Amino acid sequence: MTPPATEGAAARADAGTAPAVSLRGVVRRMGRETVLRGIDVDVAPGRLVVLRGSNGSGKTTLLKLLATRLRPHQGEGRVFGHDLVREADAVRAKVGLLGSYGGNYPVLSGRENLRLALSLTGKQRDEGAVDAALERVGLAGAADKQVRFYSSGMKKRLGLARQLLVDADLWLLDEPYAALDEQGKRLVDVCLLEARSRGRTLLVASHEQDRHDLVPDAVLELDGGRLRMAAFRPAAGATGGAW
Amino acid sequence: MVSDLAAVLAVARKDLLQELRSRAATVATLFFTGTTLLMIAFALGREQGVLERSAPGVLWVALVFAGVTAAAQSFQADLEDGALDHLLSYPVSRAAVYLGKMLAAWVYLGVLGLVLAPVATTLYGAEVAGAGAALLLALTVVLGAFGFATIATFYAALTANLQAREALLPVLMFPVVVPIVLAAVRATESVLGAAVGPVGDWLLLLAGFDLVYFVVCASLFHFVVDE
Repeated sequence: MTPPATEGAAARADAGTAPAVSLRGVVRRMGRETVLRGIDVDVAPGRLVVLRGSNGSGKTTLLKLLATRLRPHQGEGRVFGHDLVREADAVRAKVGLLGSYGGNYPVLSGRENLRLALSLTGKQRDEGAVDAALERVGLAGAADKQVRFYSSGMKKRLGLARQLLVDADLWLLDEPYAALDEQGKRLVDVCLLEARSRGRTLLVASHEQDRHDLVPDAVLELDGGRLRMAAFRPAAGATGGAW
Repeated sequence: MVSDLAAVLAVARKDLLQELRSRAATVATLFFTGTTLLMIAFALGREQGVLERSAPGVLWVALVFAGVTAAAQSFQADLEDGALDHLLSYPVSRAAVYLGKMLAAWVYLGVLGLVLAPVATTLYGAEVAGAGAALLLALTVVLGAFGFATIATFYAALTANLQAREALLPVLMFPVVVPIVLAAVRATESVLGAAVGPVGDWLLLLAGFDLVYFVVCASLFHFVVDE
């Protein structure tokens, strides 16, 4: 299970040394159902953590909570030292979400979707970077086509291009392999590993069991609203409770 | 944080592009408002005085119906493919998201109103006496569209995740929008020569309602979208 907290909230608020993700006793209900039942977890910066669990186990809820789309009903959470509720704006400046459906606007083109993401993350409009991201995910030829004409896999690739372009400190990916062909899945693996090598922290909710190219630092399993550790690879020189 | 102005413009541009490219919806809205004008004209009969007196009310009823349809469509696009989750996870204030969406709705409704106003006055035989009256009518449409867009955007967000949103949106919104419609209809009547008081007073009242609704809706928007 999750290592216990070893640092106080004040120490965690120091963004330089704070865990990328720190949750304490987080409870979240959706309607009458309690989806997350007291989640405790610390994830150190620069780690790649895979989140597993059956359908409806709360993986998407947990990712949305970290993206500040949902608020915890009990407990508290921090992203790079910033409180999920009181400092939500600061948290949003650190996270990049890739939802299970891609999160694109259907009547905008792939290029327009990426430009919108740049505008809303405060980055300079950079057509070269947009083209490079589209090229990287194999959508250069469909860049100016409206997304409603994309296949499911192309939509997911466009979402990946958005992640590459925004390159947030914390990547939150919900089923990034879904709807992709094997080539697309390998591309996701490569992009995730590259992001980790750049020091990004990645939390990946996925059902994929056999991504041999992708060696995560930890595998967490959500079951009945509770989180347990399924596999763990200690970071070199890691200290304290964070992975 | 992203500059609020840049975020407002980006969201507004996105929404307007969506409206323009959803041609079927835009054409349906135009057709619907045109049909509303015609149906009510037929229902009122051929007596010129009745038609003329009804023109301001009918114009605003048609605009309100069109506005509800447009507001519901605006958030529908955000819900597809989970785009709203992404929009709300960008480092942009909730107020900026609201302002962007409201700005797009205002432009859309304002343009629709400016197209519809001369059609309605011509069809109902109401006289717009000179350029000054035409300008005042345009100002009334712009101010009325602002107030309506303010409320419609807020309530469209409130009902976005509900199953019966198409039915609930007008039910929740119409009682709140009454002061705007009332002031807009009276201002339009004044512009068209009816003795309901100076047009300036009605326009001031309309602007006052606009300001109050704008401040309240922009301030409360985060309660509506944060779950």
